[in-house]
Amino acid sequence: MPDFNVRSDSVNVEQIMEQIRARVREKRGVDYTEQQIRELAAVKLEKFLDPRGVRSDLLDQFRNTQPDPRPNYAFEEETLFETHRAPIRWIRRLLRPVLKLLFNPNPLIQALHIQAQLNTMNAEREAARHGLYFEVTHNLVIETTRLGIEVKNLTMRLESLASRLEFNERRARALESVVAYKSASDNERTAPAGAPVAAAIPAVAAPPASQPTMVARESQSQSGPAPEGPGQRSRRRRRRRGRRGGAPAVATMGGSTGAGPTAPPSVGRTGAEPAEVAHGASGETGGAPTSEATGARGNAAESVGHAIAAEAHPSEPQSESGLNPPDIDEP
Amino acid sequence: MKLAVVVQRYGQAVNGGAELHARYIAEHLARHAEVEVLTTCATDYVTWRNALAPGVEAVNGVAVRRFRVKRERDPHLFARRSDRVFEHRHSLGDELDWVDAEGPNSPALIDYLSASASTYAYCLFFSYRYWVSYYGARAASPRAILVPTAERDATIGLSMFQPVFRGVRALMYNSHEERAMIEVVSGNQDVPGVVVGIGSDVPQNPQPARFRQKYNILGPFAVYVGRIDQNKGCTQLFEFFQGYLRDAPGRLTLVLIGHSLLAIPENPRIRHLGFLDDADKFDAMAAADLLIMPSYFESLSMVALEAWALGRPVLANGRCDVLKGQCLRSNAGLYYETYGEFLETLRAIEQNRWLSGTLGRNGRQFFRDNYDWPVIERKYLDMLGRLSRESAPRAMQPLPGPLERHRQDRPPAEEVVAALPTGPSLVRERDDLPRAEGGPGPRAWSRR
Repeated sequence: MPDFNVRSDSVNVEQIMEQIRARVREKRGVDYTEQQIRELAAVKLEKFLDPRGVRSDLLDQFRNTQPDPRPNYAFEEETLFETHRAPIRWIRRLLRPVLKLLFNPNPLIQALHIQAQLNTMNAEREAARHGLYFEVTHNLVIETTRLGIEVKNLTMRLESLASRLEFNERRARALESVVAYKSASDNERTAPAGAPVAAAIPAVAAPPASQPTMVARESQSQSGPAPEGPGQRSRRRRRRRGRRGGAPAVATMGGSTGAGPTAPPSVGRTGAEPAEVAHGASGETGGAPTSEATGARGNAAESVGHAIAAEAHPSEPQSESGLNPPDIDEP
Repeated sequence: MKLAVVVQRYGQAVNGGAELHARYIAEHLARHAEVEVLTTCATDYVTWRNALAPGVEAVNGVAVRRFRVKRERDPHLFARRSDRVFEHRHSLGDELDWVDAEGPNSPALIDYLSASASTYAYCLFFSYRYWVSYYGARAASPRAILVPTAERDATIGLSMFQPVFRGVRALMYNSHEERAMIEVVSGNQDVPGVVVGIGSDVPQNPQPARFRQKYNILGPFAVYVGRIDQNKGCTQLFEFFQGYLRDAPGRLTLVLIGHSLLAIPENPRIRHLGFLDDADKFDAMAAADLLIMPSYFESLSMVALEAWALGRPVLANGRCDVLKGQCLRSNAGLYYETYGEFLETLRAIEQNRWLSGTLGRNGRQFFRDNYDWPVIERKYLDMLGRLSRESAPRAMQPLPGPLERHRQDRPPAEEVVAALPTGPSLVRERDDLPRAEGGPGPRAWSRR
């Protein structure tokens, strides 16, 4: 996620790019360009050839394999008869027909001439082969460098994935333990106490509201008393409101007729009525356990919240959209 | 005031970068002065074949005088001579042979210019590298204003162009990077110059919904507009975008607009729509979340400017000095050099709407301040006014004699270019005020 912070009204692209590069370095290690890889490889190759490097004899070996300019000779038609003394050269040329009467030097001259050419060609070929060796070695070093960097990056990614996996497992365990804890505590309680758990579970696991949870069903089946009818509940609620609201005892004792003068307070609370009804089902049937159940409910929500928030791992995306709510707009 | 615009090709159907630039400038300057375009009969930049009739005609209300091209280009000869001057030590004669091989050779145009230059107040030459600009600027040097449209390629390293850069009356640059490069190559700091660029007729009310409906594109997308070619960096773009889909699956689709010379990867999140007309193109850019410009070499990216005019951020290739410089100066785009940076910048623009919106707003402001047509026209008129108050300083350095031309003393052009400093120019657009005569401008060219 892009987690750079730009909070001012104007942006500075240079600053943003610095933050993005830092982010890239943090996530992927150093992201080398092709040119940088080549430079690194070149540095390594030089080190490789440096006698002070890791293997000092390799430079000598490399130098030894380098073809030295081997001595060669040029053998032409006149080579046999050449001399720097002009009179002797003149005499030799004069007597050359006589020499050719005794033996034929031409095959000898030709053979030596071909041999000289062969030597030259061989030297050129060896130099080319040496260049090829050097290039192959150079390319190997480049590829090795590239692979080394890739391995490093992959290792970092693997570590990141492993930490994320570990975090997810811990979160899953935390969620499971919360659900198990609530079920066990409910079993210990009397039947009416099952309802708060049923109310708390949707807040955690968010099953559909219309479907009772497994815990709720179990608690209901275990609890003995039959569910109250709506008439009973509303009467009790009215009585309790009368007591809490400080209404006159007459009005309270007046039963349904007391709705006239005390109506405004109750009407004023109609906005909160559905919530109260939802929670009231547990509070009223439980009597004393009401506060406990509410506290347990709060604890359940708290513990789940802590389980999620307290174990937030650095590698975990804190929110899918980004790290800074003011900056990142969730799509 | 009568102006001549000299360019190698001209016409409504001619869509080359420099040619389009010349046409837009000619049409806008025609509102302030009498403009005549001097060009060739060619429409094809590969062969320079005479496709149009010579003579005078009107194109969008501008008088166009066409001259025949003497001979077509021989691609093999041009390739051999390019190889000679770009990669080997050579002579000035070799460079002159190279520009002859490149063409378009139109001696009739140069003859006309030589004879009639005095009838024009100024002659604007577009694109320094062509035969007509090279010899035309020499023929009318006291009135020559050059719009170089230079990129960082080997041609700029040829020594034959240096006297031209030093000998014209003024230069109208496309970007600060181009200006810095030419000043380093030719040492023409004392020649009046200004970074102008070019405007664009961006519609006021583009219809992004119409585009989405017409091409059935739902969801956010990044758009690329231009020729889909390896030279434009599209191979790398495909590689990086497929990596984005694989490694960091976001919601963006890549929409490609333009003729393709490459195989498009088969992926439902990469859509190629082919060449679109201007209305659809602008609708697409208005509908897009961002524009991606993967090109390595640009003298001025009109598409990026159009995206900014429409309030869209740009993600550019940071290896292109001009694009990177524009992103930095405008604060309206991000750039990448590696895959990691591509991924992070793309996701930043995709997921941070505040950033995306601010970049877009900056881009719109940058376009309005620097590339809106009134600004462009004002810069041209200011330069013409300034030149009319100054006298022509000196004649252009003449071509040397035959012996000098055959001296093998010119280094390979690629070596010259490789030795040039790189990196974006750090000067801001608003700093580009007309300089005091002969004084250096407030710029710095960083070494990368």
